[in-house]
Amino acid sequence: MSSTINHLHHHHRIDGQISPLTSSCPHLADFRSRNGAKPFRALQDCLRVKPPGGRAGIRREPSEVPRCAACGDSSPSRLYACVACAAVFCHAPSGGPSHASAHAASMPLGGHEIAVDVDRAELFCCACRDQIYDRDFDAAVVLCQSAALKSAITVQSSGNPENMRKRRRVDYRPWSPDVRERLLMDNGSSVLDCEIDRPRGLRGLNNLGNTCFMNSVLQALLHTPPLRDYFLSDRHNRYYCQLKNANGMIKGVKLCLACDVDAMFSAVFSGDRKPYSPAKFLYSWWQHASNLASYDQQDAHEFFISMLDGIHENVERDRGKRHGDCCIAHRVFSGILRSDVMCMACGFTSTTYDPCVDISLDLEPHQVTAHGKTSAKSHPSSNSEANGFSSTQIPTTSTLIGCLDRFTRPERLGSDQKFFCQQCQVSQESLKQMSIRKLPLVSCFHIKRFEHSHTRKMSRKVDRYLQFPFSLDMAPYLSSSILRSRFGNRVFSFEGDDGDDVAANEMSSEFELFAVVTHSGKLDAGHYVTYLRLSNQWYKCDDAWITRVNENVVRAAQGYMMFYVQKMLYYRASAQVCPS
Amino acid sequence: MDLLRERLIECGWKDEMKALCRAFMKKKGRSNVTVDDLVHVITPKGRASIPDSIKAELLQRIRAFLVQASV
Repeated sequence: MSSTINHLHHHHRIDGQISPLTSSCPHLADFRSRNGAKPFRALQDCLRVKPPGGRAGIRREPSEVPRCAACGDSSPSRLYACVACAAVFCHAPSGGPSHASAHAASMPLGGHEIAVDVDRAELFCCACRDQIYDRDFDAAVVLCQSAALKSAITVQSSGNPENMRKRRRVDYRPWSPDVRERLLMDNGSSVLDCEIDRPRGLRGLNNLGNTCFMNSVLQALLHTPPLRDYFLSDRHNRYYCQLKNANGMIKGVKLCLACDVDAMFSAVFSGDRKPYSPAKFLYSWWQHASNLASYDQQDAHEFFISMLDGIHENVERDRGKRHGDCCIAHRVFSGILRSDVMCMACGFTSTTYDPCVDISLDLEPHQVTAHGKTSAKSHPSSNSEANGFSSTQIPTTSTLIGCLDRFTRPERLGSDQKFFCQQCQVSQESLKQMSIRKLPLVSCFHIKRFEHSHTRKMSRKVDRYLQFPFSLDMAPYLSSSILRSRFGNRVFSFEGDDGDDVAANEMSSEFELFAVVTHSGKLDAGHYVTYLRLSNQWYKCDDAWITRVNENVVRAAQGYMMFYVQKMLYYRASAQVCPS
Repeated sequence: MDLLRERLIECGWKDEMKALCRAFMKKKGRSNVTVDDLVHVITPKGRASIPDSIKAELLQRIRAFLVQASV
């Protein structure tokens, strides 16, 4: 296929990948020039959408069973209808008979090269023997599929999409200091001491009695770029905190968790290398989460949620605030999940938006090989693609990407989980699909390794290894991508109702890993350790002991919580330069 | 057909095929792959990797249909 860049230089996304609109098939261009303004007009009447929310197909009569005109076969998986003369032919992949290609070749004047897949409504060029894309055709198909679906959006959460649309954009103005500002900068700053051995801000945390669950999460948060920048630029000053004095009198004690966090940041980034004891913070957190106040080992994820909640709780209650503007914890971690539930009887879709501060993922179930034996790789293995193709084995390593795929896959709600359909006015079986409407600045992925079974009154830990990438592109899991994929392979610019969110998402769907909280040991007798990535070096933070480690150690670790920050906010300076 | 499609998606077969396709395209380079190539490469692997439980379920349904249709 030719790969000349289209003159229009359009960039569009297919399945989340940006690609220039290349390789316009010459036969398609020829077909369009022969057939005038609406070359696919005839096909429009033959578009049938299998309800509900199903694929679009091409049928001359609604109940037509397409057969190959040459061999009468209706069983091959791909049948193509010639757009010029509506004759249907089969096409087998390279090597096999292709009556479709023969048909195209048999027309001396040409014009019969373009065909359409009768089951998928996708264009095909019989001469190039490959799939092609046309904007007008795909627009018509999408229109037809959308008309078959009726949907409503119900907003059940506190975050109202109306507010999000009013976000004003500030124009970018570049800045460079004038003479006075430069003088201020020189006078007010001091040269940082050389940090070859260890970057500033790395400081061990003493274990105060089974508090590794807290230390591990604190280490990750102390190095969460937007959070670190917020506190180090004095955005919450513990000496002038109004909130502490106004709100927080609990049992006669002034309580503001953010003030204690501020104190911690000051201590950890002070340059002092002795391990720090977060006793004051622990005491404050116990005040906030009194049900967890003990020296027992706790769950690190539960602590994480509780801590964010504590920072949020002390903020003034302001109903009018936009999503995520209430407190720094939500500004950094809060995203919006979209849930679509589609009735399988009538196609009516109910959509809800819920804010979330992290995403909890199930580990994939054991994979089954071709011979029916279950296998679960519990040792780290290289990425499945690198192994090449073995004829009977399916790659079985669990990956974070795999978990995210499963999270956003359409899930059937069976007969025991029927959903009340507003259109049918009765409970029906439905299809549920999750997607991400708005990405947070920092994504925290929590792997559900602790299984608590009420029925069997036991809990267990799943130790299975999970491969996670250092760089992650979240584009395929966005609502815009998920919605787009429901229409098949289309070249069509979908106008979302999202507006600003879509633009913001598409600019910033790339994430970089900066912290991994790992758990080793058993359910009730285990230990949490955090790996931090600073200046592209990895450091192991095991309570009071900080050591530099090779990145392969991190890759092989058993991830429990993974923290990814938007690439724009992450500085990947590969080496510290020491002023000579 | 819809039931088969649903079962294959549920058990992760579709995702595995997708991953295989992506790997193949990475190897060959995006502009050098046609639908034909993909189908040719993927089909044997796909046929071999269908879980037995799905085969059993579909055979059972076909049998039941034939019995009921022949009466």
